[in-house]
Amino acid sequence: MGRRPPAPDPFPEEARAGRWLTAPALLGLALFVLLPFLGAVAFSLTDLRLGSPRGPSFVGLEQYRRLLEDPAFLAALRNNLLFALGVVPLQTGLALLLALGLRRRFPGRAPLRTLLFLPVVFPMALVAVMWTVLYAPGPRGAVNALLETASLGLWEPRDFLHDPAWALPAVMLTSIWQGVGFQMVVLLAGLQAIPRELYEAARVDGAGPWRQFLHVTLPGLRNPLLFVVLVTAILAFRVFDQIQIMTQGGPGHATTTLMYEAVRAAFVRQQLAQGAALSVVFFLLVLGLTWLQRRLLRQRAVLA
Amino acid sequence: MAETAGRAAGAGRAIAGVALAGALLALGACGREAPAPGPGPRAAPVTVWAHAGQEAERRALEAQAARYNASGPVRPVRLSFLPEGGYNAQVQAAALAGDLPCLLELDGPYLAHYVWQGRLRPLDGLLPAALREDLLPSVLAQGRYRGRLYGVGTFDSGLGLYGRRSLLDVAGAELPEGPGEAWPVERFEALLERLAEADPDGAVLDLGLQLRGEWYTYAFAPALHSAGGGLLAPGPDGRLRAHGVLDGPASVAALERIQGWIRRGRVDPNLDEAAFASGRVALAWGGHWDWPRYREAWGEDLVLLPLPDFGQGSRTGQGSWVWTVTASCPHPEAAAAFLRFLLRPEEILAMTAANAAVPARRSAVARSPLYGPGGPLRLFAEQLAGGRAVPRPRTAAYPVVTAAFQEAFAAVRDGLDVAAALRRAAEAIDRELAEGGYGAEAAGT
Amino acid sequence: MRRRAPLAGALLWAFALVYLAPVAFMVVGSLKPDALVLREAGSLAAFWPEGASLQNFRDVLRRVDFPRYLLNSLIVTGATVALGLVVNGLAGYALARLRWRGRRAALALVLALLVIPFEAIAVPLFYLVSLLGWRDTYTVQVLPFVANAFAVYLFYSFFLDLPRELEEAARVDGAGVLRTFWSVVLPNARPVLATVAVTTFLFQWGSFLWPLLVTTSEAVRPLPVALAVFQTLPPRQWGDILAFGVMMVAPVVLLYLLFQPAFLRGARLAGPKG
Repeated sequence: MGRRPPAPDPFPEEARAGRWLTAPALLGLALFVLLPFLGAVAFSLTDLRLGSPRGPSFVGLEQYRRLLEDPAFLAALRNNLLFALGVVPLQTGLALLLALGLRRRFPGRAPLRTLLFLPVVFPMALVAVMWTVLYAPGPRGAVNALLETASLGLWEPRDFLHDPAWALPAVMLTSIWQGVGFQMVVLLAGLQAIPRELYEAARVDGAGPWRQFLHVTLPGLRNPLLFVVLVTAILAFRVFDQIQIMTQGGPGHATTTLMYEAVRAAFVRQQLAQGAALSVVFFLLVLGLTWLQRRLLRQRAVLA
Repeated sequence: MAETAGRAAGAGRAIAGVALAGALLALGACGREAPAPGPGPRAAPVTVWAHAGQEAERRALEAQAARYNASGPVRPVRLSFLPEGGYNAQVQAAALAGDLPCLLELDGPYLAHYVWQGRLRPLDGLLPAALREDLLPSVLAQGRYRGRLYGVGTFDSGLGLYGRRSLLDVAGAELPEGPGEAWPVERFEALLERLAEADPDGAVLDLGLQLRGEWYTYAFAPALHSAGGGLLAPGPDGRLRAHGVLDGPASVAALERIQGWIRRGRVDPNLDEAAFASGRVALAWGGHWDWPRYREAWGEDLVLLPLPDFGQGSRTGQGSWVWTVTASCPHPEAAAAFLRFLLRPEEILAMTAANAAVPARRSAVARSPLYGPGGPLRLFAEQLAGGRAVPRPRTAAYPVVTAAFQEAFAAVRDGLDVAAALRRAAEAIDRELAEGGYGAEAAGT
Repeated sequence: MRRRAPLAGALLWAFALVYLAPVAFMVVGSLKPDALVLREAGSLAAFWPEGASLQNFRDVLRRVDFPRYLLNSLIVTGATVALGLVVNGLAGYALARLRWRGRRAALALVLALLVIPFEAIAVPLFYLVSLLGWRDTYTVQVLPFVANAFAVYLFYSFFLDLPRELEEAARVDGAGVLRTFWSVVLPNARPVLATVAVTTFLFQWGSFLWPLLVTTSEAVRPLPVALAVFQTLPPRQWGDILAFGVMMVAPVVLLYLLFQPAFLRGARLAGPKG
């Protein structure tokens, strides 16, 4: 047939070990990640429903067309974007400030770092329940009372989680609260990796603290910063737990997200196929963001 | 030499791996309640699923299961409670996996959906005729679909307006004696304003806004009917549809009124679910299950009133949890035996003593201290008997119908445009009725 | 920048006080009578345990089977972490160090699957496991998460960077692949083991969406789902709910305080290299 016979494996023992050692992981990934993913794509082209005695039939891109006309989907997309645009700079900025502060020596630095990381180990479901209580409406709600005191009585108590304007920011604050510790630690490690000599050199050249920050700190932090920014952006698209517990997507569609809509479509409206279509769209968005992250990181790594 | 050592180590790993996998699978089997095989002294139990409602109700059912098991039946029952929120989603997921129990409690209106899926077994042969004839007409109507009886509840529900007599007297309200004398909604609103003057935070009404879920449909669809609207109605072709009914002017007007109460601050957000019981509000939209708690809080000061009349007469809700036997149950006769036990008048009275619901059998109603002659809750029974209770739509598409209405009501609650919200809901419902493959089901019973 | 800076310290401590106020609120609230939790939430009394007692904790234990939920979370999380370390660690090593046909293809597959977030496959995966009849077990909560592309990748990168001398010495001495791995590579792999263990633990312990979809009975229900259910169980008493929260997070906080260096190192390592 003209094909070369495959070359004999030079390291048969290694080859056998290699195949056996990776087999469970590959099998697991194929069964529990690849297969469902292909399933999602396949389902999204049908009209599969949960519990219907009638089998599914092929409908092409109909589910996607419906999504584009669905105000809930468009709202979810908008909310995910707003979430990312809000949480990423705020959370990263706060984490950077904290990391910068933690770089200096002062009494109680180590326990402080421990404490600031603490909310990261809280499950998001618990964080959502806690903040639901804090956001209670009326002057007796904790957040309302705090704002009233801080504004010297100018603040009108609001029902945050049911207010079309405040619901999304309220949920964003909850996410920031839970996540900032993680970013802080990553950025702190990045800061500690910047060689002291660069700062010495800058000082010798007459640069003050602000210019040192701009020309030594920020460039040295480029990789960790990019990493936390893009990871947080990706996580901003995966938001589900807080929405399910705190606002159920409301008021109206003010806080619904892609994942929340996907779960609602599949389990509440029983339209599995539409849930699958939402999942595919979600995947494409995350793919885009990840590709962006890889490109930017690789560029820098080459230059670093 | 090294080769054999390596191979031995490899073999050790493999054994460890298999052992680990085995342990995990064993754990997995642990997670599931595996039934013992075959009848006999340790006969496989009848699996029963019920919703986790009010604590007294749960305890009553547990006690009933214990009593039944203690009486030495052929097969004992094993009771599991599922959380009430998302109950239907849970049942759906289990149905998909073929995991349904033998005796399954369902929220009444969802019955049609599961019959359509082919999950339920008719009860006609399993319940004696005398029992069926003793059931309240509303209970029979709820459990019947496509001409056969698929579910029976041990109680029906009551929905009304609880009030504090003392506060209402101060506000100069005349209390209606029966559903025919319900306050017209304009008079009700004037009363709210008078009550608000005497109230520190101006919120004088509890609508149960924090409950969400099926409560929204159960509690507020009657207001639509009372105004002349509704959820679904047969269209010109005889098939059920929402357009023109749910988004019609009467329905919109009813919900706009309710939205007005919320917007003016007359409704308590009730985050701690104690607005009425702790005295913050004078009136509460509530169901029979609230009676024990409210009675304990206010004693003689508590009154039960019909819901306000939005134009076409006061309307209220009906329907509650029903027991069904699943098609996949391997021993339906044993399941029915427990059901017959639950339907004994004394057992019905035990349950309704705990949850204050309307007993499902006429013989039990007569003996009930709450619903019998002169009983404090007879308003509920009167509403059911007098045609003022409106059942929720009986269609296989009910899960979608109620989800759409709940979403619309949430929008109303949050101050968004009522007409737009109802229109969206009607469109979603009609689309589902057209495409869901319901066929003749879409025409209703 | 290693100068002493007491001002920065003071500012940070002040911030930490406000930042951790919600945690204090939860702990203090769990000790208060139910009626007072919401009523006093708006004042400093929220942080003062007036009438403090353990009644709420007793109520939780009476109303629901909390120890069962805790056990379920421990079993599910423990099994996922343990199995995950083995499966992903061995795979990462094999991809990094061993030469075998199909290695490149396998690596490409792992990298490709890295971008698929769990949520994108949750719905079809649910359908699949329902059809298999795995619902409502421990297996269904553990097995789908044992093989993890991200963990494989972490192990792979780590082992790639490990200096080869030790392994080569062992191989020269005649040790087989697995023996080399066990006696030479593993002891030096503590950082990555800690990282993967910690991240897997945190993910599984807080996992909510998946167990919500696939569990029904209390026998296998893990803590996050149990909390969400408990929060809606009538009567809704916030003191009890906060007590539930405290009991649920206490084991993790304890683990965190004990193994703090591992947690922090794990977070650092999960970031990009330098």
